[in-house]
Amino acid sequence: MQLPHAQVAVLRAADAETDRPITDIASDADLQPETATRAAFELDESGLLAVRDCEEETVSLTEEGAEYVREGLPELRLYAAALDAGAADGSVPLGDVLSEAALDGDAVDIALANFARKGYGEVESGHVTVDGDAGPESDRERLALEALAADESVPDEQVLERLDGRGLVERNTSTVREVRLTDDGVTALTDGVEAAETVDRITAKLLTSGEWRDVEFEEYKVTADAEDITHGKEHILRQTANRVKDVLVGMGFTEMAGPHADAQFWINDCLFMPQDHPARTHWDQFDLDSPGQIQALPEELVERVRSAHLDGVGPDGEGYHSPWDTDVAKSLDLRGHTTSLSMRYLSGYQEGDLEPPERYFSVEKVYRNDTLDPTHLLEFFQIEGWVLAEELSARDLMGTFTEFYRQFGITDLEFKPHYNPYTEPSFELFGTHPETGELVEVGNSGIFREEVRQPLGVEADVMAWGLSLERLLMLIYGFEDIRDVHGTLCDLELLRNVEVMH
Amino acid sequence: MPVVDVDPDELRELTGARKADDELREDLFALGLEFEGWTDDEEMQLEFAPDRLDRLSVEGIARSLRYHYGDDRGVYVPSTNDAEWTIEVEDPPAERPYITGAVVRGLDFDADSLESLIQIQEKLHATMGRDRSKGAIGVHDLVALKGEPGTGGEKSIRYTSMAPGDERFVPLESDEEMTPRAVTQRHHMGSEYAELVADMDAYPAIYDDIGLFSFPPVINGRRTEVTEDSRDLLIEMTGTDQWTIDRMCAIVCYALEARGARVERVDISYAAGTPGEYAGHTLDRPDFEVRTKRVSHDRIESIIGVEFDHATVVDCAERAGLDAEPDTDDEGTVYEIQIPPYRVDLLHPLDVIDDIGRAYGFNDLEPRYPDVSTVGGRHERSRLEDAARDALVGLGFEDLLNFHMISAAENYDNLGIAPGDDVVGGGEPVSIREPYSEAYTMLRTWALPSLLMVLENNTHRAYPQYLSEIGLAARLDETETTGAAEHRTVAGVLAESGISYEDARARLQGIAAAFGKTLETPPTEHPTFISGRTAEIVLDGNVVGVVGEIHPEVLVEHGLEVPVAAFEFRLDGLA
Repeated sequence: MQLPHAQVAVLRAADAETDRPITDIASDADLQPETATRAAFELDESGLLAVRDCEEETVSLTEEGAEYVREGLPELRLYAAALDAGAADGSVPLGDVLSEAALDGDAVDIALANFARKGYGEVESGHVTVDGDAGPESDRERLALEALAADESVPDEQVLERLDGRGLVERNTSTVREVRLTDDGVTALTDGVEAAETVDRITAKLLTSGEWRDVEFEEYKVTADAEDITHGKEHILRQTANRVKDVLVGMGFTEMAGPHADAQFWINDCLFMPQDHPARTHWDQFDLDSPGQIQALPEELVERVRSAHLDGVGPDGEGYHSPWDTDVAKSLDLRGHTTSLSMRYLSGYQEGDLEPPERYFSVEKVYRNDTLDPTHLLEFFQIEGWVLAEELSARDLMGTFTEFYRQFGITDLEFKPHYNPYTEPSFELFGTHPETGELVEVGNSGIFREEVRQPLGVEADVMAWGLSLERLLMLIYGFEDIRDVHGTLCDLELLRNVEVMH
Repeated sequence: MPVVDVDPDELRELTGARKADDELREDLFALGLEFEGWTDDEEMQLEFAPDRLDRLSVEGIARSLRYHYGDDRGVYVPSTNDAEWTIEVEDPPAERPYITGAVVRGLDFDADSLESLIQIQEKLHATMGRDRSKGAIGVHDLVALKGEPGTGGEKSIRYTSMAPGDERFVPLESDEEMTPRAVTQRHHMGSEYAELVADMDAYPAIYDDIGLFSFPPVINGRRTEVTEDSRDLLIEMTGTDQWTIDRMCAIVCYALEARGARVERVDISYAAGTPGEYAGHTLDRPDFEVRTKRVSHDRIESIIGVEFDHATVVDCAERAGLDAEPDTDDEGTVYEIQIPPYRVDLLHPLDVIDDIGRAYGFNDLEPRYPDVSTVGGRHERSRLEDAARDALVGLGFEDLLNFHMISAAENYDNLGIAPGDDVVGGGEPVSIREPYSEAYTMLRTWALPSLLMVLENNTHRAYPQYLSEIGLAARLDETETTGAAEHRTVAGVLAESGISYEDARARLQGIAAAFGKTLETPPTEHPTFISGRTAEIVLDGNVVGVVGEIHPEVLVEHGLEVPVAAFEFRLDGLA
């Protein structure tokens, strides 16, 4: 009979009388353990060898168990000390016995509990009596510990369980794979087996010499799992951001960039947020201590924004009846939204004047002083996009955003009229969750107010929307706690195993 | 967003519509009022956007529903009776110069309607009133007031100021006569608003012929407390802005009038020489003036995206509680829109268009993709960042994303450096004012601390851990307009037993080669790294970062039991 080399070696190393561990077989046959294992399974399939997995238990002493082997079990030390103090003839004070036995701390409780359990005597009202005939020299737990310390086995399951319960031993089971020759295997060996000319790895010599034409390739078990590899991987939130960027670039949007630490002027004032708006208190935004103020703002623009706040825009416009202070406008914050970038771009301050039509976007960090919880972080990515064109309507807005969300499997978008200080009309966007089927909020949108556009010098209409990237990710992947993903508390295991976005 | 508690039975009574609870909830949702749940008293908790402050009471919500059902149409202004009472403004504190007011007669309170009056005051305080700083409401039982004889024989009360320690009165929820100062110090409600008068030398005070009865914006006197037996009320509101308190007053008067009460005007007589804009003037209040705005038909069509006939626009306006009068000439049609006084949110004609759109039904619109062509593209920096990230991932790094905010201890101390050190990461911090969390007090000056924190939190996970991050770092820099220099930084750590400087150097070589840069690594010293195993990263002759083996002190500080080789450099070094 012709068999591959490894199978022949395994067959020869195996025994018909006893089960032998595969590791021993491998070393006898001079094979890698995994090669021997593979060969053994192949022989098992052809009926020449029987492979079986058996559980083997190992019992080892814990640190505490080892200590008791050296010093004696606490209850036995208590018994011995009490016996010495004459407690077999009448009760003696427990305190004296404990100090004689050098027991303190947790050991006292352990000693007393087991002393009582094993019936070595009684403790009552601080006094102890012992049963002089109790015979601690044959204490089963002590004998078992000593046997284990001497590497002997302990067959008494009850005692092992008790010692395990006391935390004195650790029990581990491991699987040992063993093989034994079958009758067919013995017959085959008797009839004679020889190694076939099979090849494991392809070598340069094999290829250049042309030998490959004459050899047989060893068959691999192609269905088996291979070893896991930890590989480099882009962060899932970055993948999501890039997916969003791809969609937006495809829809004709250009990416914006700009400062994270910015003047409240760009973050709030340009957006027609009155300076006494409740969301502008430092409870909601991160004010900076240093640097404190921006060094320069475009003065004419500041004046136009101030005038919009105080007097409104146009013949029938009204302003806010709120204070306006340039120092507040100049003070620096970590931006609470990337709409500050939109303001910088629309004003022409960032990249020069824009002519309609234009589409711009960013997927960048924003900072909000929220309470940290599974769905809220102090910093998160905001997707921001806007379209600058003549005569945009609510229908154009709905059409654009319907298309965007459709790219992420969110259909049946609903537009709920809403209020923002900087857009009118405004809509909250709701979509059907792709997994749960629930209606969930997926963004906020609107057409910029004239009090925003006119000071910026923008004559055409601008429609804009924003949503959190983390929210989109959670919707798509069903993550429950965003903190596992974003930030220094992240779990590498989760990041390693998460499915890629495409 | 504001939340109001509303008894559905009261809504049914005030609207006259016999709707089941779930029908009501649907109607309310259509108006933008979201049902959040039930209170213990079986009232609906309704949340809504903070523009429609006229809906801060059950009466206001009922009014909106009646318009929604078509039971009411167009502008409604309650009729008012002539003034009997005058508020004489004599010498109010300059910090709080304004007052307004109204008399409301013929109320028939029960527990619910009194509760509603208290709620609308609280809600207006929290919103328009900016926690009473901008506007504060006082409501008094008129029977308990004794008018001082005024100039025309009518009754008057006086808004003036008082020394904090001189006057004495019994405040609400107390039996004790106290000075205003004592109220701010030890009265349980008074102390809550003490901050509003803390900087004033003299406190705001309102007197009648008997004496002090209101200490705005802190607390009213007990003498004029409103109970279920009160039938006639005096409402006064003080503040820092006349317009704001006049609007708040209109909203409260509309709510009480909806309960069947009659509104009576009050004269506000500002003496010559009083602070503020109205010295020497008398104002006729409450201010129920109907404002007008002109809105063009073309703009309505272009914003909503639908063609309308005039009748539809007028119908939508009336269902929104407005009046619209079309005026057509050669240029097209313009509507003159009438706006009732409680609509504080309509600032611009665009706001009126939104009301018309809501009445028409935005959700009935057919979305259309705008026929506007533009060319899209990524920002140059974002493309560079992506290319660098691809290179790192190709070298086996697990890309991470950490917070830009960090604590000074994590950013500096735990890595053995200090602000101002002339090393990578040693920049002065961009720091947050009054931070709430010790964990987030500044923007990180480099990303290596974040990566070490991730290593620290993942010691139970399989090694090797090759982690990298490309992200923001910032430091103070006076040459920047904002005073902060922000840059993208590239950081990597290699954590594995047996790892050394050479492993980090090898990967840097790979990155440099990928971007066509010449890499040099002259030795340097950096407290985060082991001396003799630390080098500057020089790309094409520019010093852009540092590479080395992390110092054992830093490893132990982060609870690590493996060596870590690391690098950090500026992303623009690869440009």
